[in-house]
Amino acid sequence: MPFREVNSKMVEATVGPGQKMFSQRGAMLAYKGEVSFTPNIQGGQGGLMSMIGRRVANEATPLMTVEGSGTVMFGHGGHHIQVINLQGDTLYVEADRLLAFDGSLQQGTMFMGSQGGVMGMVRGQVTGQGLFTTTLKGHGAVAVMAHGGVIELPITPQRPVHVDPQAYVAHHGDVRNKLSTALGWRDMVGRGSGEAFQLELSGQGAVYVQASEEKL
Amino acid sequence: MFRLQGSKVLAVDMTGDAVKAKNGSMVAYDGQMAFKKMTGGGEGLRGMVTRRLTGEQMTVMEVKGHGTCYFADRASEINLVSLNGDKLYVESSNLLATDAGLRTGTTFTGLRGASQGNGLFTTTVEGQGQAAIMSDGPAVVLRVGAQYPLSVDPGAYIAHQGNLRQSFQSGVTFRTFLGEGSGEAFQIRFEGEGLVYVQPSERNTIGGDV
Repeated sequence: MPFREVNSKMVEATVGPGQKMFSQRGAMLAYKGEVSFTPNIQGGQGGLMSMIGRRVANEATPLMTVEGSGTVMFGHGGHHIQVINLQGDTLYVEADRLLAFDGSLQQGTMFMGSQGGVMGMVRGQVTGQGLFTTTLKGHGAVAVMAHGGVIELPITPQRPVHVDPQAYVAHHGDVRNKLSTALGWRDMVGRGSGEAFQLELSGQGAVYVQASEEKL
Repeated sequence: MFRLQGSKVLAVDMTGDAVKAKNGSMVAYDGQMAFKKMTGGGEGLRGMVTRRLTGEQMTVMEVKGHGTCYFADRASEINLVSLNGDKLYVESSNLLATDAGLRTGTTFTGLRGASQGNGLFTTTVEGQGQAAIMSDGPAVVLRVGAQYPLSVDPGAYIAHQGNLRQSFQSGVTFRTFLGEGSGEAFQIRFEGEGLVYVQPSERNTIGGDV
């Protein structure tokens, strides 16, 4: 069930019987047909353990389940919305950037330390992602929020991409990321270029970058 | 080589050359890049002192390398300006990036500057090359001809280029003093030949309040 972009700040999703989708609570703008919205205490999929996991990881955004048949429009806070279609690969995104996603996608929580050990944890702190991030895996569509427009940059083994941690939105595919520092004596004396930390993404996939260095 | 990726991201393809950009405005790059803060905006000691004195401070970095570098700032819309030896006048806060070959400097704006809420000085960019300026909302470019002078709200003005004379126009009447002003008490009037960039949003100015 793909999302249709109404404009850059609104998406429309079609729900049919037997299909389910999750969205951030309160992000519904309008709907047509018979659609019900139930607050999802668990904050997504999985059982009680997943819920506890998310709570502990501070990746629990209030979600709701959208069921029924009809079309629903989503939008939130005037943020730009980017629709990402997943074909079997994994999307890594911060939970508070998630606007809505297909119920068929598998939701999980990833510990930043599992990618790169201690440096992974440091990276999480620097990028403001925290120690955990949300993963979505499978076939389906995800609507992600960002401040300002979003550009998609492909990552290939020959061309790693460096991203400003504050402008990073999400990435998918088989991508390794590490924090690269370009700290020099200039930064120590307060004459830095403001680009001391960068996320270096290498492998095969794509990264989404927003046109702003502000958080949501 | 400057190009726009969407309306809010500037992509610069570089092959060993350099560009000057607002400090910290890089959002992503591929290839090899080096970032260096240019003390005093690369205008030498005299330029640096002038900027300090005039309050037109801008922190600029020099980006050099091979590959594509992407710049954006606070989700502002970006406009590309090509310069062929002429001069672009722009507020330092609205300037995102320029070719390294362009010279930047400061100039006195007079009463216009004060009414814009930007101080009495503005930044000039001159030479051969491209510059990227930012606006709050998509900017319109208005052509000023000899027969067609243009009046602009000081809060919506962002930049101009060409051979233009500017004067300050005031529409203050007795109504303004009674608190019944239309909110359009001051305008900048451009005469001559050139282009003026106007944004669909107004900064807070003294003129906007009366």
